[in-house]
Amino acid sequence: MTAVTKNYSAKDYKSDIKPVWCPGCGDYSVLSSMTKALAELQIPPENCAVVSGIGCSSRLPAYTNVYGYHGVHGRALAAAAGLKLARPDITVIATGGDGDGLSIGGNHFLHACRRNVDMTYVLMDNQVYGMTKGQASPTTAPDWCGSKLTPQGSGVTAIQPLHLALSCGANFVARGFSGDPNHVAQLIAEAIQHPGFSFVQVLSPCVTFRSEQRGWKDTVERGKLAAATSSDEAFAILAKDNGMQTGVLYAGDRKPFNPSQPAVKDLDAVERKFVA
Amino acid sequence: MTGSFDVATFLAHALAFENEAADRYDELGDSMEVHNNMDVAQLFRRMAGFSRMHADAVKGRAGDVALPHFKPWEFQWREAEGPEVAQVERTHYLMTPYHCLELALHNERRGLEFYRGVATASTDAEVRRLARQMAAEEQEHVLVLEDWLAKTPAPAPDWDVDLDPPAVGD
Amino acid sequence: MATHSVQIALAGSGGAGVMTAGQILLDAAAKAGYYGLMGRSSGPQIRGGEAAALIRISTKPVSSLDDRYDMLLAIDWQGVSRFKAELPMDANSVIVCDPAEGDVPVEFVDTGAKVAPIPFGEVAKSIVGGRVNMVGLGVAALLVGLPLDPIMGLIDAALKKKGPDAQKSSRDTVTAGAESAAGIDWRVELAPPPKSDVPHWNISGNEAAGLGAVRGGVRFVAAYPITPATEVLEWLAPNLADLGGTLVQAEDEIASINMAIGASYGGVPSLTATSGPGLALMTEAIGLAIASETPVVIVDVMRGGPSTGIPTKSEQSDLNQAIYGLHGDAPHLVVAPTSIGDCVFTTQWAVHLAEHLQTAAIVLSDQMMGQSRAIIDRPADVAFIARRLVATADMAEGYKRYALTANGISPMAVPGTPGCMYTSDGLEHNQRGTPSSVAEDHQNQMDKRLNKLLKHDYGNHWADVEGDGEVAILTWGSMTAPCREAIDRLAAKGKKVKLISMRLMSPLLPEKIAEAFKGVKKLLIVEQTHSGQFYHYLKGHIELPATVEVLKRPGPLPIRPAEVETKLAAWV
Repeated sequence: MTAVTKNYSAKDYKSDIKPVWCPGCGDYSVLSSMTKALAELQIPPENCAVVSGIGCSSRLPAYTNVYGYHGVHGRALAAAAGLKLARPDITVIATGGDGDGLSIGGNHFLHACRRNVDMTYVLMDNQVYGMTKGQASPTTAPDWCGSKLTPQGSGVTAIQPLHLALSCGANFVARGFSGDPNHVAQLIAEAIQHPGFSFVQVLSPCVTFRSEQRGWKDTVERGKLAAATSSDEAFAILAKDNGMQTGVLYAGDRKPFNPSQPAVKDLDAVERKFVA
Repeated sequence: MTGSFDVATFLAHALAFENEAADRYDELGDSMEVHNNMDVAQLFRRMAGFSRMHADAVKGRAGDVALPHFKPWEFQWREAEGPEVAQVERTHYLMTPYHCLELALHNERRGLEFYRGVATASTDAEVRRLARQMAAEEQEHVLVLEDWLAKTPAPAPDWDVDLDPPAVGD
Repeated sequence: MATHSVQIALAGSGGAGVMTAGQILLDAAAKAGYYGLMGRSSGPQIRGGEAAALIRISTKPVSSLDDRYDMLLAIDWQGVSRFKAELPMDANSVIVCDPAEGDVPVEFVDTGAKVAPIPFGEVAKSIVGGRVNMVGLGVAALLVGLPLDPIMGLIDAALKKKGPDAQKSSRDTVTAGAESAAGIDWRVELAPPPKSDVPHWNISGNEAAGLGAVRGGVRFVAAYPITPATEVLEWLAPNLADLGGTLVQAEDEIASINMAIGASYGGVPSLTATSGPGLALMTEAIGLAIASETPVVIVDVMRGGPSTGIPTKSEQSDLNQAIYGLHGDAPHLVVAPTSIGDCVFTTQWAVHLAEHLQTAAIVLSDQMMGQSRAIIDRPADVAFIARRLVATADMAEGYKRYALTANGISPMAVPGTPGCMYTSDGLEHNQRGTPSSVAEDHQNQMDKRLNKLLKHDYGNHWADVEGDGEVAILTWGSMTAPCREAIDRLAAKGKKVKLISMRLMSPLLPEKIAEAFKGVKKLLIVEQTHSGQFYHYLKGHIELPATVEVLKRPGPLPIRPAEVETKLAAWV
């Protein structure tokens, strides 16, 4: 069989729906990075699905021209795992923000990391809830006083997403910065190609509620996150991480979870066991 | 690193950033439109048009030279993205035409720098020649934009004041 | 005179093995050609607690326990009093017990039942490796007149792995048990088993729901364990794998339902099973399935609520939750099996409906039918299989996922279909699927989601409607069996009562119900809830006959046929 080769460009992965994101938002770049990665891998748009929860960044699927599922808050990883397990032939990407993925969806994140279904999770981290007007998220520093809900600061220690992913067994762990979209495209492409659950945290500024994040471009250290060959080494690197270094932290070799197998019986054989 | 460019690699870079610049301007036009900033949206679309013209010019220069394919992350830019690609974080929903032109000027100056850099550093005489030519063109673009900007009223000091609070979504 | 139904309880504690013995007894009855049923009751302990196997053997198919027990066989009395209310007996009953285990508790003595002593412990000790439960099995078989031969075969099969010594020891113990009971002056004469061309099946309601799911075409299941629904999932795990499907254990019920929705979005008919607390956690995502028109089936094996309630006991009190639990106007399907065997049909039907109507279907089973094991006629094959209207590549031009159509059903593109890419959304959307807060879009999509359910032809499956008369019973779920039995008894006395057992709980079909009510002047509503959820639901939506009475009770006590019969006595 000879496959018909089609030359997909990044534009083929974008829909005609115009994003509602604020101008300046990092998510525009992440969308662009994702479409570039898909084009580079030449995955036919119909064979790819992007699954999300709720939040600004979770609006991403509608802006793509692949199959999309915009579900409920925090549950993107569960829906994405179901899709991938039922349809191993589809490239599955879950997307969302820090509130969606690490607060309400925190439990699913732990288990997605350890379950190791062959899919990619792109978490756009802006350390704030944007859709609901700027509340502290699990990655917000405890002394950030910008929210009416926690005017004295949340007083709660921030989650380190990479650390969490690594502890829970994620098979590929990386960090990018939306201001460096070609690098993010590379990380996403590598994540998609890496077997098992791959996690890409993308620092993606919220210019509306965290306008100081416009300065991230000056503090991000590109490629400084050294690639570890073991999770022990990765933990050691993270011990010195300031949260602003980008790169692939860890690429492991755990076998992806895929319990499906071809049928070995027909319905009659299954039913025969009930005969008294 | 740009010193080692051969003609095809050099033109592939030039074409890539002009194309991307055009796409980015279109995206910014879209986002301004969504945010009801129609003047700036139109301006971004004009910029996109200019970038497409420049991209066509690069294609014309390439003629029969087959340009190599680079992965997005394989291009050798001095910054995160190609020189004329507008940086997303330099935009604002209330930005004025003045800001838009400032941004475009900033991009053209980066383009100029890129070509000048290649023109100086390249070890390939043909590349140096092309880069000099293209730098001269960028110099013109810069002058046009400087002139345009000079004729454009500067924004009011309170240009970014929004009288309404942010809206809520999902 | 020979009886057509006998009911016995085997009780014991500390790992006495009454459940195993009960299972073998029921299987032996099945081998002999009888129908039957086994329920279970147990203390809260994970191991070593008091337990009772509740077994009914009958010449006719039965789906619920009878009014009274013919026999209570108590290996010991530890904690057995806990089951007193569940074990009604009378002067015609017999209590078989070991004198070495102490006196018969007074509340059992008060029933007037005859007491027959058997030294279970002593008999067991007389055989190397002998166990008390096998003694009890021999005793019970003898007293109800079941042949020992099939029991021996079943023991050999059950103990195959333990080897011939263990097999022989158990067989000898059963024989010794039967011999020890020879002198007891109490017997049941069970009428001979019926001749039947239909093969008999030995199946629990939970297994039946699993089978219905795979018959309907379900090939993806997400599972989170919860009593009393776990067996649905445990049956599906190996069998789904054999059929080429996938079962995944999720981290919680929220993940389960979202995984199922994700898989179904991928085009694979999907299901999850849970009980009340799990259904509560799933409701948000069920709304998503409805709004995004993604088919999914949820089997809720109801238990006593609210909160953790009584996990091991039956109740029908998730009705309100299943129908009304969702936020927003969220039309969906709620169906309920009317018997253990019907768990096959109803679950299969639910899959068919969910797939065809592109919506969520909740199957309301309950602990009573889910965890009871019955000997039934093999459920008939029905043609319902998952048939989803899917979009094909040739429909790509101008494809609209949520297009407004005459019947409200629009072709759903599944990933892999070229050109039809769209984003499925729980946000209100326009026909294309793009999020929209425009009033017209909301109105249109709400109409679409409701009308596709209302316009569907559910045929006669909406209810089991049996018999005729001016008096009718309206019931549902596992309450159907005692009602059916009460009606049969009245029929034997020449009195007519109509049975309406609803399978389609939502949407209600007022016209069909009105038709079933034709000529009915008095209606008895029977349900296992404290507040009368079913009654209030019906009252809120349909015209009921002039005279209505409600027989309702929360779990754990079942409503028995005699109660229904008594309630009707004044009317017929």
